[in-house]
Amino acid sequence: MSTKGHLSGKNRIRVGGVAFDTVLTILLLIFCVIILYPFLHVIAVSLSSSRMITRGAVGLIPQELNVKGYEIVFSKATIYTAYLWTVWYALLFTVLNVSLTSCLGYALSVQEFKLKGFFSVLMLITMFFSGGTIPAYLNIRNLGLMNTTWALVLPGCVSAWNVFMYRSFFKGISHEIREAALIDGAGELRILISIVLPLSKALIASFSLFAIVGMWNSYFSALLYIKDASRHPIQMILRSIVFTSNSMGSSFGGDANVMLTNGTVNPLNVQYACLVATIAPLLLIYPFIQKYFEQGMQVGAVKG
Amino acid sequence: MSNAAAARTFPKKTAWERMKKWFRILWQQRALVALCLLPLAVVILFQYVPMYGVLIAFKKYKPKRGVWGSAWLDPWYKNFQEFFNNVNCEHILLQTLKVGVFSLIFTYPMPILLALMLNEVKSKWFKRSVQTISYLPHFISIVVICSMLNTFGSLDGLFNNLRALVGLPRVNMNAGTAFFMPMFIGSAIWQGVGWGSIIYLSALSNVDTSLYDVANIDGANRFQKIRHICLPAILPTTTVVLILNTGNIFTQDYTKILLMMNETNRMDLEVISTYVYRMGIQDGRFEFATAVNLFVSVISLILVVGTNYVVRFIDPEQSIW
Repeated sequence: MSTKGHLSGKNRIRVGGVAFDTVLTILLLIFCVIILYPFLHVIAVSLSSSRMITRGAVGLIPQELNVKGYEIVFSKATIYTAYLWTVWYALLFTVLNVSLTSCLGYALSVQEFKLKGFFSVLMLITMFFSGGTIPAYLNIRNLGLMNTTWALVLPGCVSAWNVFMYRSFFKGISHEIREAALIDGAGELRILISIVLPLSKALIASFSLFAIVGMWNSYFSALLYIKDASRHPIQMILRSIVFTSNSMGSSFGGDANVMLTNGTVNPLNVQYACLVATIAPLLLIYPFIQKYFEQGMQVGAVKG
Repeated sequence: MSNAAAARTFPKKTAWERMKKWFRILWQQRALVALCLLPLAVVILFQYVPMYGVLIAFKKYKPKRGVWGSAWLDPWYKNFQEFFNNVNCEHILLQTLKVGVFSLIFTYPMPILLALMLNEVKSKWFKRSVQTISYLPHFISIVVICSMLNTFGSLDGLFNNLRALVGLPRVNMNAGTAFFMPMFIGSAIWQGVGWGSIIYLSALSNVDTSLYDVANIDGANRFQKIRHICLPAILPTTTVVLILNTGNIFTQDYTKILLMMNETNRMDLEVISTYVYRMGIQDGRFEFATAVNLFVSVISLILVVGTNYVVRFIDPEQSIW
């Protein structure tokens, strides 16, 4: 492998290196454009006039500013209740997820815990086998949880993967601290809350954010379990607006219907406005939380 | 002799005594057991009970009688028989395999490629910016992705604007099946490539930098360094990801396919998991849908074990177990 390199002059390597770096930079810039363009395009179209949209003249910049789409979306109470429900589902799910996972993860991280092996296997099995959609659905129905918040937050709130991540993170905390606390008379719950969790802020932050985003983005369990449309999360609202566009006017009432038929508003205005309303909260906090996501993923990558 | 002496001084504990000691320690650890109770209750109630519920695949399920009380089917494999005798069965299986295999082939290499490219970037600032941007789509929901696809593919949409730009006629890309695969796989790549690259990047960051120095002295060019240093460094990770992804060939993201379906292509795009949803949730044929789903789960498990076996056969060090 090495002898060939010696033959080429030092100069050639340098020139080759510069060309390589330039091509690499250009390719990655194109990549960034491909990633970002759809987002910016959606925002631009949502703010453009119907005429320019139909003409296909909107790229990255709004043409003939038009905020009617947003007016229609935010004129209905639906979107506000959907926001509230989504926040409620996400918060409850996150609290349950983090508290239950850290309890189990902590117990399994204690070296001398007698049931450690048995409980770990119990969790491990769930990584490889699952009942599937239908038995899970029947289970929720039999438990009488249809149309309740519990149907959305409980089934996924203790996952084997998270428990094992927590366990390996907690194992990294010196067990002498635990022993010292035990001698001082602290109980296990006390040790978990006052010693282990404060030392695991990075982990908790990352996994809370995963939970919040996961819940914010989920629609399928709501589709299965929440029949009452007034309790639908935001993703279900977006789904009904985009995928049943012929009934869109009627779902927003008379005014919207008139504007849609006389062409003041393009259906795309409304659909994209709703799309922006769905992702805006996440996009706004993304720059601040991005660092924690990566941390969390790296905890996973090292162990996985 | 020493053995005999040891046996005299420390008589071997009986099983009873060892059990008593085990329980005494467990009693001392009751606070730890208590911490586990609530999480395990949730796991048993929402994961193990549905696993047991799979039994209805072989039964005539009566909700009032419960899973155990319901009568067994005669013959017990009746639901499976019905599925395989169904005229659509072959089409659904083929479509499932097609979507799964093409997704794997096209999405799997992309994060590896991106990670290798990012690893070559010298400017820390540029690398971080590209990474941050690349993760963004991962946080977007399936509904949003499919909404984008649906609107971009409509006559006024972005994709058609691009088609018009290069002189192609505007078509409704959501209708029919012609554009399903590129849109399904393309969006999956767009969404997953950045996030998927993290695991490879962290493997690459563990490479001993002196290897690069040695390669420089040997006069290796950039491609040779990638070929002989970076690729071997990420090989174990790529193998693990490949094995896990192979298990998913039959269980693609059906929530996404459900959203991409419409009246013009519903029958053609049907894959096993959407069929399970349609039969089970919409038509209420719980036992039949569970049987079909069970069939897929078994195939997936065989695939994971099989891939792992092949990998172990080629190179024992790379297999998961």
